[in-house]
Amino acid sequence: MTADHILQTRGVSHELGAYVVAAAFARGGATCAFALGDGTLHLAPRQGGTWRAVAVHDGAALALAPDAGPAGYVCGGDDGTFRRAGETVTDIAGFGMKWVEHVASFADGKTRLLACAVGRQIHLFDGDGSKLKTLDHPSSVTGLAFDTKGKRIAAAHYNGASLWFVAAKTDSPRRLEWKGSHTGIALSPDGENVVTAMQENALHGWRLTDGQHMRMTGYPGKTRALSFSRTGKWLASSGADAIVLWPFFGGGPMGKAPTELAGGDGVLCTLVACHPQQDAVAAGFADGLVVLADIAAARILPVCGPGRGPVSALAWSADGAQLAFGTETGFAALVDFSKQQQQATSP
Amino acid sequence: MADATGGKVPVTVLTGYLGAGKTTLLNRILSEQHGRRYAVVINEFGELGVDNDLVVDTDEEVFEMNNGCVCCTVRGDLIRIVGGLMKRRDRFDGIIIETTGLANPAPVAQTFFVDDTVRARTRLDAIITVVDARHLPQRLADSPEAADQIAFADVIVLNKTDLVTPEELAAVASSVRQRNALAKIHYAKHADVPIAALLGQGAFDLDRVLADHPGFLDDDSHAHNDDVRSVSFELASPIDPERFNAWIGALLAERGPDLLRTKGILAFAGEDLRFAFQAVHMITDGGFIGPWKPGEARTSRLVFIGRNLNRPQLRRGFESCQAA
Repeated sequence: MTADHILQTRGVSHELGAYVVAAAFARGGATCAFALGDGTLHLAPRQGGTWRAVAVHDGAALALAPDAGPAGYVCGGDDGTFRRAGETVTDIAGFGMKWVEHVASFADGKTRLLACAVGRQIHLFDGDGSKLKTLDHPSSVTGLAFDTKGKRIAAAHYNGASLWFVAAKTDSPRRLEWKGSHTGIALSPDGENVVTAMQENALHGWRLTDGQHMRMTGYPGKTRALSFSRTGKWLASSGADAIVLWPFFGGGPMGKAPTELAGGDGVLCTLVACHPQQDAVAAGFADGLVVLADIAAARILPVCGPGRGPVSALAWSADGAQLAFGTETGFAALVDFSKQQQQATSP
Repeated sequence: MADATGGKVPVTVLTGYLGAGKTTLLNRILSEQHGRRYAVVINEFGELGVDNDLVVDTDEEVFEMNNGCVCCTVRGDLIRIVGGLMKRRDRFDGIIIETTGLANPAPVAQTFFVDDTVRARTRLDAIITVVDARHLPQRLADSPEAADQIAFADVIVLNKTDLVTPEELAAVASSVRQRNALAKIHYAKHADVPIAALLGQGAFDLDRVLADHPGFLDDDSHAHNDDVRSVSFELASPIDPERFNAWIGALLAERGPDLLRTKGILAFAGEDLRFAFQAVHMITDGGFIGPWKPGEARTSRLVFIGRNLNRPQLRRGFESCQAA
């Protein structure tokens, strides 16, 4: 079995001709999308069929998230726009020459939220795209995440992170301080831990219940992706030549060594994405390799072999049945792991 | 040496005090028909509009690295912008970064040495400083940034020469040279310098370090200790690499904040290749470059640009690096 076996038997792929910036699945589950450095969004029907390109940004797309509604997506670009894209493209907000570097969305039964980060500000919108509020930070926002209940939004910036209550009448954040440049952020599923990636090839964490600091070091490169497992037991991270998983149980991660998976060949892991249902993690590497790792069993399943450019986009569908990934050189693929659909997804 | 850059995007940094003619020069570069496309990074306090397809407006965000290097500051906004621009790499051939008039150039330069992702995709081509010939003496008197900008420059555009007398111009040129013995100086009236003299300089390439400076003059006769100036040394006998590393490492660790730029070409004992060395404050870069030419004198040369330079002490230190 070659490293491309899963891609060949269960995948659909295309060369899209531009840097794949991000991938996402629509909340309703009908499509997945790839946002590109040429400003287009490529929509791939999950049940098979033709991929369709939509022009969204006059420049590069910089960030992508599913829309808060069942269909479509929200996109940020270096043309200064925050747009809703799907069957049609509409403006949510414009910011002149400033880049819209991060976007996020949240939806459950009653709440729908959209957010984008532009310079030092987070702009928060309801599901219809009506502006709710603007949240100011001491320096540029470098990462953005809602908690799993949509109650709080967390932002990384210089010298720490800020945690805001979305519905607060008066906006004053909980400031989490740690000197240095923080470049990405994740919130644990139980909402009790905030972890940032740092310029100095390390992670920093705060346990919100008691303010305990957590330092996670030893990375040869910068961590670009942080992903908590569904249960919150593990924090997967990129930035080493393996998938680095920190244990958030049994007193960890303090004083514990991380688990390393799929390593050993000296190639940097560029992205990780934990499976939404099980204790498994997908990872992409700088040589184009994509793998799926079972954390408990430490078993590695190759999904796509090396040679198609550094992996630059990686996302799971909410049901965990499909994985989308893309590379810096424009390769994009949608792989189906569900048992019954093997036939339907062959090209 | 085009291949040696490995397809990395060349970056030109444009500095200069307010009113020196920086934006005029930038617009001149952009409007000239050179067939190359530039992504231009400007700050929001820019003096004039910039007419270009790809302009990025940024807030200069300088932060300290937690790497034990007290003077190691980098531009966080540039790290993000370079990352973003790489998503549409096919749209431009180079990047030009304009700094604010009051900016210290060190954080910009250090960003290109310190950040791995930036290093992997770009190379610092040259720092160009635009100087107003008429107002320079006043600027040097009232702002340390003006001296820093000269000290960091690989290329200096001495602008507005039509507004001074030949005597004044000679004095200004001498004052610039005293602070930076290595930079190429171009005289200009309305920032009218040939683009070829500004872009594609490879000034930070190790094999270009000192290449254009067969000899240099030191004129530190009137320098005060806190003035920026440059001092240079030559040694005819070969250098012991271990002694040099120990000395320069300790020197930069101790005096890094004062040593703005250090450049050298060294003849190591028993080595036929030239060793090129350069540093921005404490951050160093070094490697072997081409061989010494047959019959060429294997003279090691070292130049320091900075403040509070103790010439005899530096000379003794450098001399102690000679192979036994």
